Amino acid sequence: MVRLQPDPFLNELTNMFERTTEKGSVWVTLKHSSDKSKVKRNKMKTAGEKIEFKCLIRATDGKKTISTMVGPKDHQRFQWSYATILKARMTALKKRERKDKRKTADSDKKQDLKKQSKPSN
Amino acid sequence: MVYIESWDDFVEKSVQLFRSDPEKTRYAMKYRHCDGKLVLKVTDDRECIKFKTDQAQDAKKMEKFNNIFFTLMARGPDGNVLAHYCLSSSCLYLGIRVNRNSEFRCNAVNTDISEGGGKEQVEAQAPRRGRGRKQ
Repeated sequence: MVRLQPDPFLNELTNMFERTTEKGSVWVTLKHSSDKSKVKRNKMKTAGEKIEFKCLIRATDGKKTISTMVGPKDHQRFQWSYATILKARMTALKKRERKDKRKTADSDKKQDLKKQSKPSN
Repeated sequence: MVYIESWDDFVEKSVQLFRSDPEKTRYAMKYRHCDGKLVLKVTDDRECIKFKTDQAQDAKKMEKFNNIFFTLMARGPDGNVLAHYCLSSSCLYLGIRVNRNSEFRCNAVNTDISEGGGKEQVEAQAPRRGRGRKQ
């Protein structure tokens, strides 16, 4: 598990997506974490200290795992960059087929109308 | 493993799960480019809910979902968070609501995922106007 800073993490995540284009998956996990062990957290609780929480983000391609911590102040910038990467990379999903369905539905309706008008003549 | 059909149900249940146990709940996403499939999972190690799709439009919904979770997980479950879905434009604006009277001008769906009460003084961000009426 490699712990990186947010920006190198994003670069490495982009590389992961590139590597898994032909084969493989990318897993990205988000978790609310303080980065401290349970023992330390309990000690801090009893001492009345405030525990600082961050967002732990992990990414793996099945072989290599990378992670980073993002705090409340930089999370917006990070989520914007992350969204950009996803938008650029997730291109294999199917586009909407509604337009095609509409066209076939319209052409069916037109055929039905024609059939109805013919017997009256 | 429970697969949920409705996107809105999935979002609502995920947020509930997180709020009930913020320390254990995690959100995982799996993307396979070769199959064109996307699976989202939210679990607190007791309950698990999943959502799978192969549609590009769901990827856009997922982005907004990501924003909700990033905010929840970075700031903690206590903050008053208003997820603002800006449907008229393609951008997502996540506003931090300081008081109940703040207005958002976009004609969009406002999903209020705050728990009520707890008016924390969080830094207010200037609301971005969507492609609604020009004032």
